[in-house]
Amino acid sequence: METLFAGIPLDEVSTSMTINSAAAMLLAFYLCVGEEQGVPRSRLRGTIQTDILKEYIAQKEWIFPPEPSMRLVIDMIEFCAQEMPLWHPISISGYHIREAGSTAAQELAFTLADGFAYVQAALERGLDVDDFAPRLSFFFNAHLDFFEEIAKYRAARRIWATQLRERYGAKNPRSWLMRFHTQTAGVSLTAQQPEVNLIRTAIEALAAVLGGTQSLHTNSFDEALALPTENAVRLALRTQQVIAHEVGAVNTIDPLGGSYYLEHLTSELERQAYEYFDRIEQVGGVVPAIEENFFQREIAEASYRYQSEVEAKQRIIVGVNRYQLEEEQPLEILRIDPALEQEQIERVQAVRNRRDSAAVEQALAELRRAAEGDTNLMEPIMAASRLYVTMGEMCDALRDVWGVWRETPVF
Amino acid sequence: MAGKIRVVVAKPGLDGHDRGAKIIARALRDAGMEVIYTGLHQTPEQIVETAIQEDADAVGISILSGAHMTLVPRILELLRENGAEDVLVVVGGTIPTDDADELKKQGVADVFGPGATTSEIVDFLKGAVPV
Repeated sequence: METLFAGIPLDEVSTSMTINSAAAMLLAFYLCVGEEQGVPRSRLRGTIQTDILKEYIAQKEWIFPPEPSMRLVIDMIEFCAQEMPLWHPISISGYHIREAGSTAAQELAFTLADGFAYVQAALERGLDVDDFAPRLSFFFNAHLDFFEEIAKYRAARRIWATQLRERYGAKNPRSWLMRFHTQTAGVSLTAQQPEVNLIRTAIEALAAVLGGTQSLHTNSFDEALALPTENAVRLALRTQQVIAHEVGAVNTIDPLGGSYYLEHLTSELERQAYEYFDRIEQVGGVVPAIEENFFQREIAEASYRYQSEVEAKQRIIVGVNRYQLEEEQPLEILRIDPALEQEQIERVQAVRNRRDSAAVEQALAELRRAAEGDTNLMEPIMAASRLYVTMGEMCDALRDVWGVWRETPVF
Repeated sequence: MAGKIRVVVAKPGLDGHDRGAKIIARALRDAGMEVIYTGLHQTPEQIVETAIQEDADAVGISILSGAHMTLVPRILELLRENGAEDVLVVVGGTIPTDDADELKKQGVADVFGPGATTSEIVDFLKGAVPV
């Protein structure tokens, strides 16, 4: 983290970190860099993903079982509510749920259900809803169905505001507001005639902007093949700049509000989301629903249906099942030098060799002890981070106490 | 049951992208094959062990992490070491064309990239596995 942010004053930037099961450690490393630069915690700005529930549901990069994982998330939310007023401790994500094959309605419903589960857990910790809800943030997908996507964002805002006010008793209007990031759909990118992906991404990005997203990631056109080249990334950025500066899409808020079709779709998605909330409730909540494979089964069904529609040509994908080229032009893709892995391993070894190993052992023992109890784990994680204890070592210590999660896969 | 093609669908490494693997597993099952899906985060050793224990005719490896040039050769090597080189190995995922060519040279029966249909994969296995 020090190497990454060398020469970058943390009080002048906002940082977004995509990390979930080990989010607490990464946040602690960032705080340590802030301490070294003399930037107080209260002035650090940014977002860390932290959303472990969608890992069990869709992205599948978990470490610990759901219960201790939720504790770690709430530890972070509590810590940030007290210490980091400009930080978003979580980005509750539908993106990966959609990429795993869900429908728009499922993405909406499962993401918001996850959001309510975090709110509920934080309330059970004893926090006041208005102390943490204004810093919760969301992350949605922008898929191909233009109007449905815009309606999805509108429905999300509507449900969140209503539930935070009426069910959770939030009084601060900032608790009712839904802040969200959007990324265009990786799964909509095709390896065939990849330049066409520029057009798909532009249309998806426009839907996100018309749906009122606070921030946007446009995918690069070559990402169905490999990590993107610099040229492809620049074109993805230029796509956003055209939408921002040339076409007037940002001139007003909710420009499609009042359209009979959009209002109908918004209400329809809202209705479907509430149906799912009831079903999740019947299973006993989000964590029991994960343990029973409820979400995983729903998503697997939807993704199989989507694939069957593509193969039956009920769903047309330009260049894939219609308008194909006999001869595809080869595309230059990015190659990662495998030597980089060795270099990184050597850097970690060098850091380990420089440490006070007795202090490291003691910090890990403290962390284990804290994990066995119920105090907030952020300070023991901070203490270990200051001594350059690695993320892997801290996770191993927590594995000793909590064990690891194994899913029983369904297909 | 005699005559059914037995396939292990496997996800090696830390790659959590299981959408494709699950679709393939289901399509193969619907096509009448016996499908064993390993689940996520498998080591090459675990995959080969499963293939041998399950007496698999074929192993389908799904990789979207970019680590295919490390993981697939290791699986081929372990199959050979265990006298299981007759198990057909197919790979699916985001595999660049020249990597796919290299993997085929090393013994992979075929590589299916983005856009491949489940029916072509079913047909390939039915053609390639002697029943």
